[in-house]
Amino acid sequence: MKNFLTFLLFNISLIITAQNNAFQAGEKLTFTAGYNMSGLMTDFAEVTMETSEVRTKKSALLRLKCKATTYSKWDNFFKIRDLYESYVNPKTLTPYLYKRDINEGGHYKYVKYNFNHKSKTVKSLIRKKSKNFKSGFWDRNETVKIKNNTKDIVTTIYHLRSLDINKAYLGDSDTFTVLFDNIETKFTFTYIAKETINTAIGKKECYKLRIDLTNDNTLKGNSNFLWLTADENKIPVYAKFKVAVGSGELKIKSATGLKN
Amino acid sequence: MRKTLIIIGLITAILSVILAVLPLSNFAFIPAIIAAICGLLAFFKSKAEKKPKHTVQLILLLTIIALALATYKSVMVTSEVGDTEKLEQRDKDSQEDAVQELEDIEITD
Repeated sequence: MKNFLTFLLFNISLIITAQNNAFQAGEKLTFTAGYNMSGLMTDFAEVTMETSEVRTKKSALLRLKCKATTYSKWDNFFKIRDLYESYVNPKTLTPYLYKRDINEGGHYKYVKYNFNHKSKTVKSLIRKKSKNFKSGFWDRNETVKIKNNTKDIVTTIYHLRSLDINKAYLGDSDTFTVLFDNIETKFTFTYIAKETINTAIGKKECYKLRIDLTNDNTLKGNSNFLWLTADENKIPVYAKFKVAVGSGELKIKSATGLKN
Repeated sequence: MRKTLIIIGLITAILSVILAVLPLSNFAFIPAIIAAICGLLAFFKSKAEKKPKHTVQLILLLTIIALALATYKSVMVTSEVGDTEKLEQRDKDSQEDAVQELEDIEITD
């Protein structure tokens, strides 16, 4: 009962106080993605997370962009050029448009979601390469029903940073619904420890969060962790993901344009 | 025993050379060390039993090549992002399209 109340209070506090005080337009975080097997690490890609302001006639939106690029030594073997972006409300981080344009070792996929929060639907477009069509692409248009707080993957990462984790207790968790490939997937983040780790941007005290996917097998077991700095910026400095063989790692390289 | 050591040594030495050539050169150290140990043990066995050492010499040579290449790559080769011109263009075009698409959106707090 006590745990339930704590959990409830944590969630209520998150909903009430979820104001974006962690990042602003102009922030750029650069990461190195690597693969670790038996303690031997090999770097294979650079991942950047950028925010910028986008102005339309009627409003100003925040553009959240993630890019993944393989290092040149890998380009001949498996070239990755991925672009993920989301256009959100700068205050509430409500997504309006999400795009995923991936090019991985010759495999191309383009996904676009137009969120309609009034009707709780998403107009989805999934485009793949196909020789059967004159244009060379196969388009699948669909309208997907979503839940109240369903977001895309990019917005969810940034939304996590906007939460008041300092008010949470060890063991508290929060679940987010993410629309990925037209399927609503539940991501649960559990605050499991406060650790000080050495990073490229200095020695940082961090919140260690465990990531669990409830209806997806992409990430294996309970060995997926994310370290967010225990300050106002809540920078994701390190992430570790268990994959089929070995583990993937994401380490921060540089951080510029921070809000605090 | 000598034969087993030679077989294991040869397989791991070839594997370490292959890994050292690929971008996975960091992983070449594990089979290279195994190959070196097997190679040395096989060398002393061959010496004691007065048997030919040609294959053992080949194992040690391959191991040295793999170790040298892997060490050189880990020290000298820096991780640099390749050609991103097309990605940058896609990024720019995508933003322009998005602005047009979101033109009539009125954000609500």
